[in-house]
Amino acid sequence: MTEKITVALAGNPNVGKTSIFNAITGSKQHVGNWPGVTVERKIGKRVYNDVMMEIVDLPGTYSLTAYSLDEIIARDFIIEEKPDVVVQVIDATNLERNLYLTTQLMELGVRLVIALNMTDLALAKGDNIDEKKMQEFLEVPVVSTIGSKGNGIEGLLEAAIDELHKTRVTENVFTYDDQIEENVEKLRAVLESDPYFAHYPSRWFSLKLLEGDENIIKKAKESNSYSEIQKIMNQTDAEILEAKVADQRYKTIQTMLRQVCNINTSHLSGSDMVDRVVTNKVLGIPIFLSLMWAAFEVTFTFGTPFMNIIDIFFGWLAETATNVISVPWLASLVGEGMIAGVGSVIIFLPNILLLFFMISLMEDSGYMSRAAFIMDKVMSKFGLHGKSFIPLVMGFGCNVPAIMAARTIEDSRDRLITILVAPFISCGARLPVYILLAGAFFGRDAGVVIFGLYALGIMVAVLSAKLMRSTILKGEDTPFIMELPSYKLPTLKGSLIHMWERGKIYLKKAGTIILIGVVGVWLLASIPAPGSNGTFASEEVYGTTKSVIGMIGQVLEPLVAPLGFDWKIAVALVFGVVAKEIVVGSMGVLYGVGEDEESLSNILAAGAMTPLAALGLMVFTLLYVPCFACIGVIKRETGSWKWTLFQLIYGTSLAWGFAFVIYQGGTRMGLLA
Amino acid sequence: MLGIPTKSKHTKGHNMNEKTLDFIEPETSVKVLKVTGQKSSRKRILDMGLTPGTRVDVIRRAPLGDPVEFKLKGYNLSLRKREAETVLVEVLK
Amino acid sequence: MTRSYGNKEITFAALAGVLYAFFGLLHIVEGLGIDTGMAGLLFIPGDILGGFCLLVIGAVFLNGLREMLQGINAGVSFVYVGILMSLIFMAVYLLIMGGNLLDSFLVPDDYEGWSVMESFRPGIYLGLLSLIGILYWKDSFSSNEVLVFLEGA
Ligand SMILES: Nc1nc2c(ncn2[C@@H]2O[C@H](COP(=O)(O)OP(=O)(O)OP(=O)(O)O)[C@@H](O)[C@H]2O)c(=O)[nH]1
Repeated sequence: MTEKITVALAGNPNVGKTSIFNAITGSKQHVGNWPGVTVERKIGKRVYNDVMMEIVDLPGTYSLTAYSLDEIIARDFIIEEKPDVVVQVIDATNLERNLYLTTQLMELGVRLVIALNMTDLALAKGDNIDEKKMQEFLEVPVVSTIGSKGNGIEGLLEAAIDELHKTRVTENVFTYDDQIEENVEKLRAVLESDPYFAHYPSRWFSLKLLEGDENIIKKAKESNSYSEIQKIMNQTDAEILEAKVADQRYKTIQTMLRQVCNINTSHLSGSDMVDRVVTNKVLGIPIFLSLMWAAFEVTFTFGTPFMNIIDIFFGWLAETATNVISVPWLASLVGEGMIAGVGSVIIFLPNILLLFFMISLMEDSGYMSRAAFIMDKVMSKFGLHGKSFIPLVMGFGCNVPAIMAARTIEDSRDRLITILVAPFISCGARLPVYILLAGAFFGRDAGVVIFGLYALGIMVAVLSAKLMRSTILKGEDTPFIMELPSYKLPTLKGSLIHMWERGKIYLKKAGTIILIGVVGVWLLASIPAPGSNGTFASEEVYGTTKSVIGMIGQVLEPLVAPLGFDWKIAVALVFGVVAKEIVVGSMGVLYGVGEDEESLSNILAAGAMTPLAALGLMVFTLLYVPCFACIGVIKRETGSWKWTLFQLIYGTSLAWGFAFVIYQGGTRMGLLA
Repeated sequence: MLGIPTKSKHTKGHNMNEKTLDFIEPETSVKVLKVTGQKSSRKRILDMGLTPGTRVDVIRRAPLGDPVEFKLKGYNLSLRKREAETVLVEVLK
Repeated sequence: MTRSYGNKEITFAALAGVLYAFFGLLHIVEGLGIDTGMAGLLFIPGDILGGFCLLVIGAVFLNGLREMLQGINAGVSFVYVGILMSLIFMAVYLLIMGGNLLDSFLVPDDYEGWSVMESFRPGIYLGLLSLIGILYWKDSFSSNEVLVFLEGA
């Protein structure tokens, strides 16, 4: 019978935790969310020496305070779920700050194993670390690893299993000054006499109480001894204490480091040299912008043939299905509904995979935090984070990967705002609509109009961000405290795994929503409206007044009439939710000219709508409900229907408002008449 | 704007070298005296190693002037000026 | 402190800097609709954004040149980053070229009269220069972590 144990993987961000996790679990991993929040949770399995290990990847944290969601998750997992062993991955080139977390894990009294990672880089830098001495000093097993190459993983697993079978677990003690110790002892006495606290490491819990940790105080409030606890707490000043505690921890670490290693600090490292260039006062921003252009071109231009392959394949499949199935409505359901639906999910995959491959290169190399450093000033003006820039720029190609790219933003509020405003950035799929309408109505000025639409999208996005920040998502500003990790060589394998992970999440989570949406619209367009005498899914019904969607269009007409739109436009807009470029195609069908864009623009320009209404329609297309794929990823990334719905309503109201002002205002003022 | 009162307060102190971190020019080294500010950001700044007595090198400002990059304890950290303002330091000669 | 660069680095920075900046400018000028007559010969179609990128790479090299001439030791880091960037862009242009080629088989209608050389860009052949630079200086660079970084890119 094999033993089953849980191993939690902890560590600072950027220390190679993901690499170690991948090296341990291989492809046997599952990505989900921590219960109730959208922080990612990865779990993997590995059998080693007959021990079945479940590896839980904790969020990367610098500390275990209660101020960030990530820290609370990591900490609660350790104290509530009590994993059998905690492995902390440490960056050997950055021992001092990494060991700060170690001191906290040790105070938690967990069975701890240290993976001393990046030993190759430490060696190259000329640092000399004596692991044996470190192990003696900390009384915790220390194993050297090179995560990117998978070296030292077996040793690490062995150490973890050994640690499990040791009887002794010391609640490792760092002594603080006498006054603190005295109060800690008093509190411990209280905690240990109350069975409510039996679950928690008492020394750690006492210290946290004295530090004024809100999360811990909340837990203590539920006990019967809280009044007694409060008395002791009131004797200390949390502010002074927390500085002292942090100071003491760092002092202990320094004492140890002096004995166990010899760190070479003299020379200008390769990282510093690269940084001098890429964050250069004059060249920093141009370099960043040109790299953005490169990422954009690879994602969207290089992605085009792959999208075409998917398009051609599904087109062929739909046609074949339609030909093979002899029942017309079934053929249409399978061909135009289901196969086209699946196709419209998969069509985004090349962009998503390519973009995430590049984001992964940027993150793993360490450039991503430089990008945030460079752009933060601009973004913070609008209440966003430096890291929001990349998702927004990618939005010009396609909003779907852009929204997913918001993952790189750590702070949940910054991330949410970025996701909510990203759909306003004008994506490639809206361009055909602009080209048709601007071409038909504005002739030589079409370029200016289209440029204006892009500019409007950017403005709406950043101003909305500002607005949300100061209204519905107000609250204490999260401090901007960002490490600039040293540059590292990304590994192909690491980036491919990351890329595939994103692709899988997209297909599984967003895919269903998109599929349901697309098939739903097909149904609406195919079911004959009550009272009309067409047959289900027949050509004469599909998308016309005789279908439910046509009926909806007529119901909607009064709503869009003030914008100068008729029911046909309303229907086209409903279709546009499937994918915005479809607005053009469906207008063609509705105006009875089929796929021929030229005759469509002739009909429109001949008086089917006014130039003002056309302008309003373009603006409306820009701002209203994004496509199903966007809706799917917004839901997946925010984890909430409420926020998804908010985005839809907010965007559509804005769209309506803008179009109204343009049409009514313009008509009154006699513009473009 | 926000920084001005803080500046006058700390440059008028007894020690002329005592300043807040946001006023330190790049390529200067300082020693941390105290971290003020709101609880959550104070705690995080301390956790990142800006404890009293720590030596911090100011490396550079971002191209647009904010945030600022520092080196301490062998690693690089960036803070917006708003956060740097809460760190009281003494310039090292 | 010993200087970490010599005349070779200086010459390389000057050459690469001038070439990248010049071709970048040509791209931009063509993109603004001014015919320089070099479009066909040097594969420089109008491309404002692409031209901007080449210009940036040129500026990185030239700034390194400036610093090295002033005797600033770390000036050579601009040459390293310039090389890295030129290789990145070479890869990007090659990918785009491959992508276009593939696309031309998939949707031939959109590519009537198109030949693959239309996607051939200065970003590709100028990248060869950096490739030679890297191979040539491998030894003198390899004591430096930056090269470790470059090699895998
Ligand atoms: N040279 C070297 N590079 C490493 C080592 N371990 C990881 N890396 C590289 O370091 C970079 C970051 O590694 P990740 O595994 O993504 O780090 P992480 O801790 O998961 O980072 P976050 O996900 O941002 O918290 C990648 O480019 C890895 O290839 C190592 O031991 N040596």
